[in-house]
Amino acid sequence: MSDLPPRYSRQVLFAEIGTAGQKRLLGSRVVIVGCGALGTVQAEALTRAGIGRLRLIDRDFIEESNLQRQTLFTEEDVREGLPKAVAARRRLQAINASVAVEDRVEDLNYRNAESLVEGADCILDGTDNFEARFLLNDLSQKRRIPWIYGAAVGSQGLTMTIVPGRTPCLRCVFESPPPPGTTPTCDTAGVLAPAVNLVASLQVAEALKILSGRLERINRSLVSLDVWQNTWRRLEIQSGLAGGDCPACHLGRYDFLEGERESSTAILCGRDSVQINQPSGQPLDFPQLGHRLELLGSVSYNRFLLRFRLKEFEIAVFPDGRGIVKGTRDPQEARSLYSRYIGN
Amino acid sequence: MPTSVRIPVQLRTLTGGQEVITGTGGSVLEIIEDIDRQYPGLKDRICESEGKVRRFVNIFLNEEDIRFLENLQTAVTEKDELSIIPAIAGG
Ligand SMILES: [Zn+2]
Repeated sequence: MSDLPPRYSRQVLFAEIGTAGQKRLLGSRVVIVGCGALGTVQAEALTRAGIGRLRLIDRDFIEESNLQRQTLFTEEDVREGLPKAVAARRRLQAINASVAVEDRVEDLNYRNAESLVEGADCILDGTDNFEARFLLNDLSQKRRIPWIYGAAVGSQGLTMTIVPGRTPCLRCVFESPPPPGTTPTCDTAGVLAPAVNLVASLQVAEALKILSGRLERINRSLVSLDVWQNTWRRLEIQSGLAGGDCPACHLGRYDFLEGERESSTAILCGRDSVQINQPSGQPLDFPQLGHRLELLGSVSYNRFLLRFRLKEFEIAVFPDGRGIVKGTRDPQEARSLYSRYIGN
Repeated sequence: MPTSVRIPVQLRTLTGGQEVITGTGGSVLEIIEDIDRQYPGLKDRICESEGKVRRFVNIFLNEEDIRFLENLQTAVTEKDELSIIPAIAGG
């Protein structure tokens, strides 16, 4: 049939991909932002499909409550206390060693966003919050990189494919994020694996079209689905493409890349946790910090993160100073715990 | 016969858990005002104080975004269906 590895034969037989499409896939570069339920499903499917390079960006580490839906992770990963991006990379390399997978244990923000997506042919949304999604939208418009929005909560999902110049963008449809605390999150409403898997699978199908050169096949609607209420709707948004006044795609204003909207704390979806963004000038010294904190509570660390448990709280810190405070959803309480035990 | 309005999960606490309710009126705005009379608080969750649709909420008339029609002034008949679709996070 061709000189392509047999592992891709069923995909090559699919006429609209074929040998030419598979070759394009093998040379493609993908960035997945967020390695939770959406991101793990996307990463596994694209790794099996045979993309060229995959960069996985995630700021969090694995916990037992992730295992219900985050398909790449195991109980052993929980015991090891691994960052999600690291555990996912290990698993993906065992699935398909010919894909170059890179893990980045980082919080995507306006400072690092442009360099993190440099050279990508497509960005997949596997994030769990509005801030990151509006940032991705600006990034996509500014750098002319397609991105695929997807979100799920409870039994509902929403997805939309954004190709700069060809489709409306996220801000054409949702001009700005809702105020924090006004919409359900996985924390408050839970989330069903089939809802996220369905959204992630639709995102992967869109990515395969884009990466294999079949842009004419992309889905141009906003898809809204609910696996429990049995609804599946395609909502028309195309008329937003021309003549609108969208700040991002018509006016070229990238508000979320300016950084003014960024807060230094973020409540993490499904985690009863708050992230503290506190870049330290130099890498944290885990042995030294661990030694100091041992006197106050229980401490464990590996080379990726240090965890400190004290009563109902747990503080996890990464070498770059970023922290995740568990046991609270109150940013101020989290910030004060962080300052007290890790430092200012 | 009034027009059906699909209510998202986020707002169902205001409608006693109902996913589909009905409202009477000739435009999207009139229907929102009517459902707000039946389920007080709905309009505030959909519209800003000046009466514009909130920026993270979308209203679709059948399958079309009303922003690309006549917005809140878009004419509605009994055969139409309105859907309120807020952005969702999570994932
Ligand atoms: Zn736009």
